[in-house]
This record gives sequence, structure tokens and C-alpha cells, in this order.
Amino acid sequence: MPTSNPPPNSPELLPGTLYLLVLRTLARGPLHGYAIARRIKEHSDDTLQIEDGSLYPALNRMLVKGWLAAEWGISENNRKARFYRLTPLGRKQLEMEAKEFDKLIQAIQLVMKTV
Amino acid sequence: MNRLKELLRRLLYLGRRENLDGILDQEAEFHMECRVEELQHTGLARDKALAQARREFGPQARMREESRSAWQIRWLEDLISDSRYAFRALRRSPGFALAAILSLALGIGANTTIFSLTMEFLFSVPSARQPENLASIRIAGNSHSRMPIYEFVRDTHAFEGLAGSFEEHEVNWRHGENTSQLGVYWVTDNYFEVVGVPVAMGRAIQPGDRNVVVLNYNFWQSSLAGDPAVVGRAMILDGQPYTVIGILPRDHRTLLGFGFAPALYVPVHDQNAFVAFVARLPEGMNRQAAFTKLKVIGQELDRVFPDRDFHWTQDIQVDAVAGLDRLKSVNMIPFTAFFGLLMVVVGLVLIIACANVASLLLARASSRQQELGIRLAIGAGRGRLVRQLLAESLLLAVLGTLSGLLLNFWLTTLISRIQLPLPMPFRLHIAPDWRLLAYSAAVALASALFCGLLPALKATRSDLNAALKRQEFKDGRRLWSMRNALVTAQLAISTLLLAAGLLFVQNLSRSTSMNPGFDVDHTLWAHMRLVPAKYPTNEKTQTLVNTALDSLRALPGVEAASIAHEVPLNGQETDGTSVRIDGGEPVHVQYKSNNVGPDYFRAMAIPILDGHEFREADRAGSPAVVILNENLAHLLFNNASPVGHTIRYPHGETVTIVGVAKNSKYFTLGEENALAMYTPFAQGPESENLNFMIRAAQFPQGLVKIINRALGALDQSAAIETKPMRGALVLALLPSRAGAAILGSIGMLGLLLASIGLYGVLAYTISRRIREIGLRMALGASPRTVLWMVFRDSFLLVAAGISIGLGIAMFATQPLAMFLVPGLSPTDPWTFLSVIALLAAVAVAATVGPALRALRVDPMVALRYE
Repeated sequence: MPTSNPPPNSPELLPGTLYLLVLRTLARGPLHGYAIARRIKEHSDDTLQIEDGSLYPALNRMLVKGWLAAEWGISENNRKARFYRLTPLGRKQLEMEAKEFDKLIQAIQLVMKTV
Repeated sequence: MNRLKELLRRLLYLGRRENLDGILDQEAEFHMECRVEELQHTGLARDKALAQARREFGPQARMREESRSAWQIRWLEDLISDSRYAFRALRRSPGFALAAILSLALGIGANTTIFSLTMEFLFSVPSARQPENLASIRIAGNSHSRMPIYEFVRDTHAFEGLAGSFEEHEVNWRHGENTSQLGVYWVTDNYFEVVGVPVAMGRAIQPGDRNVVVLNYNFWQSSLAGDPAVVGRAMILDGQPYTVIGILPRDHRTLLGFGFAPALYVPVHDQNAFVAFVARLPEGMNRQAAFTKLKVIGQELDRVFPDRDFHWTQDIQVDAVAGLDRLKSVNMIPFTAFFGLLMVVVGLVLIIACANVASLLLARASSRQQELGIRLAIGAGRGRLVRQLLAESLLLAVLGTLSGLLLNFWLTTLISRIQLPLPMPFRLHIAPDWRLLAYSAAVALASALFCGLLPALKATRSDLNAALKRQEFKDGRRLWSMRNALVTAQLAISTLLLAAGLLFVQNLSRSTSMNPGFDVDHTLWAHMRLVPAKYPTNEKTQTLVNTALDSLRALPGVEAASIAHEVPLNGQETDGTSVRIDGGEPVHVQYKSNNVGPDYFRAMAIPILDGHEFREADRAGSPAVVILNENLAHLLFNNASPVGHTIRYPHGETVTIVGVAKNSKYFTLGEENALAMYTPFAQGPESENLNFMIRAAQFPQGLVKIINRALGALDQSAAIETKPMRGALVLALLPSRAGAAILGSIGMLGLLLASIGLYGVLAYTISRRIREIGLRMALGASPRTVLWMVFRDSFLLVAAGISIGLGIAMFATQPLAMFLVPGLSPTDPWTFLSVIALLAAVAVAATVGPALRALRVDPMVALRYE
């Protein structure tokens, strides 16, 4: 799975994590690109710094896969913005990826504890 | 499924690439604005805020590039750019493109046309609802059974439905002052319902219908001017009014297939009729289960309709009416074999055409060696270059296939319109369908690979150094030898095709000149069909026959007139029985039988070798007599005269032999040593079909109208058709004609393509050797030496091609024997000699041009060449 280039001095994202983060963020409702970027930053207490520009190729790849759908709308500051929302397929993907992510984290933690 | 949707989304994107760029720009701008606003709220100056927002966002170009690549379909876009490149390359050399496309168009046109024909003949689907659930049924080995039997089986309700049909019924149609004979599909009144035959106008035949008729589209168009108002009107058929209730769609195909298309469908109620069974099997019942059911029904039939000679349970057959299963039946073998042969033959033609294109591409590749060398040198991947070259051949193949399909449409429309001289109504519906499309796509792809792969691999394998240094000669040599191999193969294949084609032409000329054993130059055949209801008794028919014969004999220019049950070479029956000579041991014989009137042998000019013809006295009720042909007389009596001896049949009847007739042809022109027996017409079975054989003093064509008028005057309700006997041979010659026409023209097409290939190779070699030739001429070589040089090349190629081709043809033509008249061997020396002569002549013609060009080489120009 392709990953976006992480910016320097921020914890490197695990492969595919950006998708998971975006899916998770959109699970509560449609958002435009900027809002997605901000939410991810806020919710991770600014530790997960992704380069803002790299969000968009990821969004497009997810559009191709059919996980997301996009349409134009008006943002909270009254500007024309492109809103992304989860498709049923995207919701399924989120469930699956979240489960796998949990498994991965548990495995890593297990290794960290035993070593 | 998701993959497919993904591809679909990507494809949609292809059409609005510009749009996406705009979207991305807008999004980036919006993102930046939001960030700047946010930063300004924290007290940052606008320019500082902008700079930070930009930094955080990262390079916009990369964002755009990566987003775009998310949507891209690499291979498709490469393909598009390759095709664009190929298209430009082809536009730059229109001569090459035209030659290649024309070659492929001819090859693919011939190929797909034969494919369409094969599909129509062997795989056409009858006009029926769910034909896969239909089964044609034979019981007790009979193709047709009597109506009471049909009704009994139908009423067992063993199947979802059982219908019956008799496909060769005929009626006389009285329209205005004319009466003509029409072919009728006689069907039980539930036939349309059970089979599910769609009707275009009006309605189908329904249970309980009597005296109604459904019209075939072509009959409606040609004989009723396509007038929609005929529905509801009456037609006078065999003297009775029938109401037209419906018209079939244009593409209606009968269950029988093979283009068989009677003018009318009429419900049958005659209890004496014989019908073939077609059953609709219920859901879940296969043909094996149907067979088992029929076995049980057969036992009941044996109880209700016992027969001394057979059991109803024997020889039960349940066959598919369409698809591959239909082809498994034994009487389909010659058809399948013939179409298989045709497919092989046109496959070979396509190979020749592809070889032409491959050879042209090789020539191009060698002249583009430098360009390709440079591209390889600056790092183009070989795979990429091969793909690009293949795109060129794919484009050629696609264009060739499209033109080939145009040729296909033209040819198949032509073929569909052909009125074959068959005794039954016949109409093909060849229309392009998905099978043709799929096949053409496959052919295009295969020929693109076949034409392009080798040249592309060769061209990109070349040594970089050599290419850059323009060392064409060495490389050219290698490509040249491959072109030689291609031309040799082409010539070999066309030798094979020509051999097959000429064999069939030879076959036609032999069968045309073959003596049928009776005179065809001064005889006429007048066919008269009576309305059965008007002639209920044999005497009534016989009275008409006698009156007709009298009036025919009275016509000026008529030397003799007689009547026959069957017309030779137009579907004569074979009988088999055991006979006892003068009460001796039974001998089993199979012979052609015919019932003929007095004077038959004189009218047909068949010599009576022993004894005498039938006489007026040989009528119903008088002692039974027969005439044998030489072969049968010889078989039964060796060299003794059979006249006066008797034959006894198993059922006790004894007949006296009164004469021996010279052998002639009865069923096919190709038959050999056929046995035949004639019985007097008046002692034979009754029939509403009368065939008068008339001998004209001279020119028979002049008598046609006079005979029609004379017979027409006897009964206006009778349908009459008169033609010279020569025309009646058309049917007998049809297979040889069709074979010769199809295979002959395919052979010629192959030859044409191969000669273009030969010409191309020779012309190309000359152009490559202009410097060498100029040098030789400058050093004093005479024109003769130069000519010899060119002709030697050509001769070597042609000799190699012909000998390989002949070697293969010796074996490959062996199976053709089943289509040839006796006496014509598949390795007929004359055929093979003509093939050699023809190919050699064409080769010389193809060599002349390049040779003249070599002669015209000016040494001064040549040395400065390039």
C-alpha cells in the first residue's frame, strides 16, 4: 500500500495509517480537506504531524478505491470547499483496518514488554 | 468486483483530467486560506502566515502529481500514446500502411466471411423460446410418425409440450390467373405455442385453428409486396380459402436450420399426415431422462398400435435442436467436415496475409534501425520499444480488421441474397453478431502478434554499435534471410491452397462434362402439382396423366413425352429388399427405384439393351413388370439375358423382367455402379406430383411456354413449372460448383497475396543492393548478369516454396477425396502441374518489376546512394 512521504521530525506513520486516520476522522461526518488535516493534528495532540499537502494524494487514492465520495459545499467560513464523506465501502474498510491496527499494536506492545 | 469499479472510476477520470487539476488547485488554495486565517488570528502578519502555511503544505507540484497518479491507468495511457505514435508513423508511410492494411483486409475479410457462414450453417439458433429445452424425437427409428401416434404420445403429457411438423408439404396457391406451388411447414396447431416461435405481425397459430396461415417474411415481401393489409385476408391454397393470421419476423429461422425457409406455416389436421416430433422438456429433465420416458411410452404404443415388423421401443432417439449437440448427429458429418476444411483454408490465407505484413514490418524495422539504436542507446527499455512497435502492428491489424469486416458485410449480404437452385425454399440470415465481433477481435489480436512480434523483437535486439554505425549490410542480411523464410512459407501455403482450389475446379469441370447417361440437351422436365382433393382416386389421376401425355405428344416439336415418379439427379430414392430370382435363394439388393411411363427411355434417350420398354398395356391391374439397369441385371444374372425371368419380393409379389436399360446416373453424378430398377408408372404409388419428361426435336427452351400452356389448360388449379433438363442438372452440380467457387477463389486470393509478398521481398532486396549493383555495372557487369542475379533470387525462393508446398499438398489433400468425383485423385498430376505453372508465371510477373528497376540503376547515382 502506498504511503505519503512523512515530513521530517515527526513520528513516522506506519504504512497505511494515514488511510486509517482519515477514515476514522470522517466516520463522524463529512469534512473538507483542511478540517481533516486539523482534526488529525488536534486529536493526536500535534504529535502526528503530516505534511498538509500529502493528505490530498491520499484522499484521491481513497476516492479511486471507492472508500470516500466527494462533493462541493460551503465551509463554516462561507467558502466553497470540497467535502469528503465515507461510503458504505469506506465504513467497512474502517472497521477492518481498525481491527487490524489493534492487532498490530497489541503485537508490538507484546514484543516491547517481553524484550 | 471492486477492482472493476475502480477501473471504471479511473476510466471516467480519463475524460476529465483538466477538471481534476482545477479541483486540486482550488482545494490547495482553500486549504492555504484557512490556515492563513487561522495563523492571522494568533497574531501573525499576513505575509509570515502565508509563508508558514506554504511550508506546512509542502510542494504543491508534488501534491498535484501524486494525486493525478492516483487516478492514472498506466498501461492504458501508454497504449494511447503508443497508438498515437504508431498512427503518426503510419501516416508518414502511406504506401506501406495501405499495402499492409489491404493484405490484412483481404485475409480477414475472407476469414470472417467463412466464419459467418459456418456460424449460420452449423450454429445458428432457431427462432424458438429457450431452444436448449427443445428436443427432436424419433421413435422406432422413424423421422416422422403418423398423426394418431403423435396424438397418443402428446396425450401422455410426458413432456411440457409435444408438437409435430412436416416440413416438406406443398400447396398450390391460386393468385389471379396464376397457380404456383409453395413450400409449406405443416405444423400441429400447438406448434407455435410449444416451440415458442415469435411472430412479427398478427398472431401465431393457436390450438383449434383450421385453415389459417402464417407467412414467411420473404414470401410476404416478394410475392405480396409486403402489404400489411394481407393479415386477415384469404389465400386460395389447394382450392380452399385460408386466412392469413400472421407474418414471421425477417430473421425467422426454422427448427430445421440450414436456411430452410418454407413460404407458409399451416396447421395440419390430416390424420394420414406424418409428423416429426419436437418436445419441450420440463425444467430439470435432460435428454437421457426423456429417452427413458419414451421407452415406457413405447411399451404402451406396442400395446395400442402393435406392428408386425417393429417395436415402438426400438431406435428411440432424442436429439438437441441447436448448438454443438446437434452437430454430433451422423448426417451432419459432411457439413461439419466441409466447413472445418473451409476454416482451415481461410486460416492459411490469413497466415499468408500476416506474413506479408510481417515482411513489410521487417523491411521497415531494418530501415529504422538507426532510430531504434539511438533510442536504445539513450536508455529506452527494450520492452517499451517492443511495445511501441507492437502498437504499430496492432493499429494495422485493427484497421485491417475493420476493412475486412466491411468486406465481410458486403460478401455476406451478397450470399444472403443468393437464390440457390434448390428444390426447397432456402434463405440465409447472415448478420453481424457478438460472435463475429468476438472472433474478429481475436483475429485482429492474433494477427497483430503474428505480424508484429517477430519483427519487433528482431529490430530491438540489434547490436547497438552496428546500428549506430549504419552497418546495415550485415544486419540487413540477417533480416533479409528471415524475410526469405517468410516468403518461402507464403509460397508453400499458396501452393497448398491452389492445389486444393484447382482440385475443386477440376472436379467441377469433370462433373460438368460427366455423362449422366441420359440426354440433357433435347429433353425438358415439366413438373405439375395437382390439388390432392380434386383427384381422390388413382383412376382420376391416371386419366389426367393420359390426357396430358396425349396433348404433349400432339405439340409441334415434341418427339416423345412420358412421365416419371422421380426425376434422375433430383432426389431419387434408394430401396433395399431381398429378392428371389425365379423362386431361388433370396439375394439382398439396394437399388434406385423409379416408376416410369411408356416411352420414358425414348424420351430420355436411355438405350434399352435387351427386351423392350414399358407399354400402354402395363397399367394398374395388368401383370407386374420391371426393367433392370445393366448393373442390376449383371449382378442377378451374370451375362445371361434376364428378360422373361421373374423376381419375387419377400411379401410374395412376383414380377416379370421385360427389359434391360443402359446404366445412367440416378442420385448423384459421382455415383458409380449404381443398381436401378424401373416399374411402370401406372403400377406405382399415387402422387399429386407429376413429372413429365419431354423430348424436343431441337431447341428445348422454345417449348417451355407452349408446354406450360398445354398443361395449364387441363387444370387451372395445378401448379406447373417447365425447364430444360440441362437446367435441372443444376442441383446435381451444386456441390461441385460451390466447392469450386469457394475454394478456387480462396486459392486465387492466396496466390494474389503471396505474389504481393514475393514482389515486395524482391523489390526490397534490389533497393538494398543498388550500391552493389551499381558497383558491378561500373566494373563492367552486363545487363544479363544483373538480370540473372535478380531472377536467381526469385527462382530460389519460388522453387523452395513450391517444393515444400507440393510436399505438404501430397498429404494434406488426401481427405478431400470425399468431396471429389470418382476418378479424380486428390494428387491429380494435372492439378499439380497447373499449380506449378501458375505459380511460376505469377513469380515471373512479380520479378519483372524489380528486375527492370535493377537494370535501370545508374552506376554513378548508385555509388552516391544514401
